[in-house]
Amino acid sequence: MKGISFGQYYPANSVIHRLDPRTKVILAILYIVCTFLCKSAVGFGVLVLSTVLLVLLSRIPLRLILKSMRPMLMIIAFTSIINIFWTKGEHLLTPDGWWLKIYAEGLWNALFMVLRITVLIMATSVFLTYTTTPLAMTDALEQLLSPLKKLRFPVHETAMMMSIALRFIPTLSEETEKIMNAQKARGADFSSGGLLQRAKALIPILIPLFVSAIGRAFDLASAMECRCYHGGEGRTRLRVLKYHWFDFATMLLMVGFGVGVFFLNRIGIGYVLR
Amino acid sequence: MSKITLDHVSYVYSKGTPYEQKALDDVSLSIRDHCITGIIGHTGSGKSTMMQLLNGLAAPTSGKVLLDGYDVNTTFEDLFAQWKSLPKYENLSKSAAKKAIKKDIKDFRRRLCFRVGLVMQYPEYQLFEETVYKDIAFGPQNMGLSEEEIRERVMEAAAFSGVEPEWMEKSPFDLSGGQKRRVALAGVIAMRPEVLVLDEPGAGLDPRGRNSIFEKIVHYQKTTGSTVLIVSHSMEDMARLCDDVVVLYRAKIVKQGSGREVFSHADELSKIGLDIPQITRLLQMLKEKGMPISDDIYTVDEAVAALKQIL
Repeated sequence: MKGISFGQYYPANSVIHRLDPRTKVILAILYIVCTFLCKSAVGFGVLVLSTVLLVLLSRIPLRLILKSMRPMLMIIAFTSIINIFWTKGEHLLTPDGWWLKIYAEGLWNALFMVLRITVLIMATSVFLTYTTTPLAMTDALEQLLSPLKKLRFPVHETAMMMSIALRFIPTLSEETEKIMNAQKARGADFSSGGLLQRAKALIPILIPLFVSAIGRAFDLASAMECRCYHGGEGRTRLRVLKYHWFDFATMLLMVGFGVGVFFLNRIGIGYVLR
Repeated sequence: MSKITLDHVSYVYSKGTPYEQKALDDVSLSIRDHCITGIIGHTGSGKSTMMQLLNGLAAPTSGKVLLDGYDVNTTFEDLFAQWKSLPKYENLSKSAAKKAIKKDIKDFRRRLCFRVGLVMQYPEYQLFEETVYKDIAFGPQNMGLSEEEIRERVMEAAAFSGVEPEWMEKSPFDLSGGQKRRVALAGVIAMRPEVLVLDEPGAGLDPRGRNSIFEKIVHYQKTTGSTVLIVSHSMEDMARLCDDVVVLYRAKIVKQGSGREVFSHADELSKIGLDIPQITRLLQMLKEKGMPISDDIYTVDEAVAALKQIL
């Protein structure tokens, strides 16, 4: 339980860390659009290069970024297999008459798909998870989504809920550990028996955990009310987010990059997706 | 030989990271049997860590924790490396010995929890059953006892810790904080541990609740003659209750002995920033003013007697 890492913010002093969190959200979205605009071998080459550049700029150890890829390996493997075997094209690679038919287009498709997913995960983790604290992130989302207030969507409340939830993850995990130890001290056994027995063994942990979590929620609500919290209306912030010229410049650069990638699709070297 | 012995025990948190921190540093200690031993120290002095080592919830980074002379953290590898020389396994085949050792280690770990009963800090947060009775019975049930045996133990433990019979069928969540704590205490006593370890049993209670829970613990110890360890930062309570006192400071033992011995060095303790009982401090001041008072008085009753004599 100790090793739980959430948000995985990696403190460093890099250009990307210093960007406004809202800018980073927008950049991440633009970058995702770029990866989907990209359809040519040349385009993908440029995309991979720019992702490597991003990682270098962010000063995050490569090891960490590769670690964030690990849960996606299954999906990457699955999509590439599907692409290799189920794409029909013109250039058959396997000998005539084989029941297994692999086309060159299938291989290209698989390669592009793998690159697309990899770049996608790397870029979002560079822009969002590793360089932005969860709190800065919720702030950014609150402001970016604030136009939705016109549609009566409770933007501030949702953001507040998110930041409270994030704040209490470490507290709850610590508490879980304490309760587990207390029940172990009374001879509770969490590691043997069948599935049903193990599920039952969790009851002595879950009930105290819920009881204290609910109690804590009430306390927190009272504490907030005591300090006259009444929602987002007219509330000022401790840390005011401010755009700098640098933020606009990077966004412009990213749009330019997207346009560039789009036009690279016309260069027919290697392979171009249709 | 005493039941519980720590042999050059060290414990390091987050070893090998920048956050590395020593909680215990080469601590050796024998706990006197059938006595109440108080372990005193500031927050962060390593006292709570020590508690978790005693019943195997945590294993020391180095050194041994011995219960009746047996290292409680003996691993499968330790035993298996020398199984041929152990009379218990020597007649078995290799695979049978392997199996037997695995089972024995697991059994020992589990029984250890029952032999060394640990009451954690704020134990009322561990209550979960529908009724008080069922909650106290949780430990004995895990021991696999019969229905009657469980009933007997629950009743006995309830009497020891001051759980009123009419609470038995109530939900533990309907009780007050102090009442809940008694139920939690009963839940551990019901396992009839050879050693009872309590981490800040009085924390967060009002003075009356605190005194009452300490009284229960002392009464329990006197009646059953078991070994009791109490961890606390309160010199006051420990001076009053404990036969022996161990003072931890920055992961090391700085003083150890009977209450009288330890508190007669009150000035040394206050030099390293530890609180000394208020009554000791008062008498010290009186002594500085020239009153003929001996050094080793550390409870209010004794102080009253001594002052009466002078006056």
